Amino acid sequence: MRKWLLSAFMTGVLIVAAGCSSKPSTDEMKQLSDLQAEVASLQKDIAARQADKDALTKSIAEKDGQIVSCNKDKDALQQRMKGM
Amino acid sequence: MRFLTRLTAIIFLVCVCAFSVWSQEMSKEEWQKQITDLTTQRNDLKNKLTTLQGEVAALQKEDADKAAALKKCQDEMAAMVGGMEAPFAALLDRIDASINELSRLSNQDLWARRAELDSVQTWLDAAKKNALSVLPKYSGRISDEQGRLDALKKSLQQIAESGSEMRVYTVGTWARDRDCLWNIAKKPKIYANAFLWPKIWQGNRDEIKNPDLIYKGQRLKIPPKAELTAHERSALRSYWSKKHAAAAASNP
Repeated sequence: MRKWLLSAFMTGVLIVAAGCSSKPSTDEMKQLSDLQAEVASLQKDIAARQADKDALTKSIAEKDGQIVSCNKDKDALQQRMKGM
Repeated sequence: MRFLTRLTAIIFLVCVCAFSVWSQEMSKEEWQKQITDLTTQRNDLKNKLTTLQGEVAALQKEDADKAAALKKCQDEMAAMVGGMEAPFAALLDRIDASINELSRLSNQDLWARRAELDSVQTWLDAAKKNALSVLPKYSGRISDEQGRLDALKKSLQQIAESGSEMRVYTVGTWARDRDCLWNIAKKPKIYANAFLWPKIWQGNRDEIKNPDLIYKGQRLKIPPKAELTAHERSALRSYWSKKHAAAAASNP
């Protein structure tokens, strides 16, 4: 009898403990999942924009060099043609 | 009684399992914390993305401006040069082709065509006087061609100093001089190396039809001493191949 009562008591405690802690609903879990996906998408976009920025910076530097070289050649040519 | 005890034990075990599974799922507090953190992260990322997009747009404009400036400079250069560039480039191509051809000649042929080096030098001097020669794409090329021409002139000088521009050997008799191509090549004043006889043979194909038969009085040009060329080695192999075939045919 005692053992039976003890077992019944323990079972009741477990049922209550399991039922008492609250969990997020299905909608709330979906909200969390959507937010995670949005963050991942933003990180991907940022990586792509950063790559664009790096490529443009490199292109601008190259063009700067070409412009300096072209102006130098133009001046040399003007000088030479003046002397002819 | 026993049945009740067993039933209670089973229910107890089920509850223990369910509790352990349940306890691994996210709690409401944990969910809330993640939502808050992710929302903050999302907002920061959005701000960062907006800033980056602005920077990229500014850089795109700057890149386009630089491209326009470069094109302007190139157009001004083209306007200055006018129609000068095509004939100038053609002159450089002609100089290059001439030097290529002269570089492939043997010492004898180069010596025979040595006057052409002066013509090429005249063309190069004219190119240097042209205004376009100051441009890097042409000045480097002119400098290279002058270097190659100087190397050819040096070769010509060495040919003249060595006396190897032209040597002629007049064939004597077998009885007195034992002159055959092998012995001629062996002479110290010729090659001092009998194995170079194919060089004499190939250098005188118009005179020597059969390398085993040379005649008194034949004037044989002696090419400069050097290792046998691929052509000369091939001729030698062909010579021995025919000799062996003839020997095999006569001794079946």
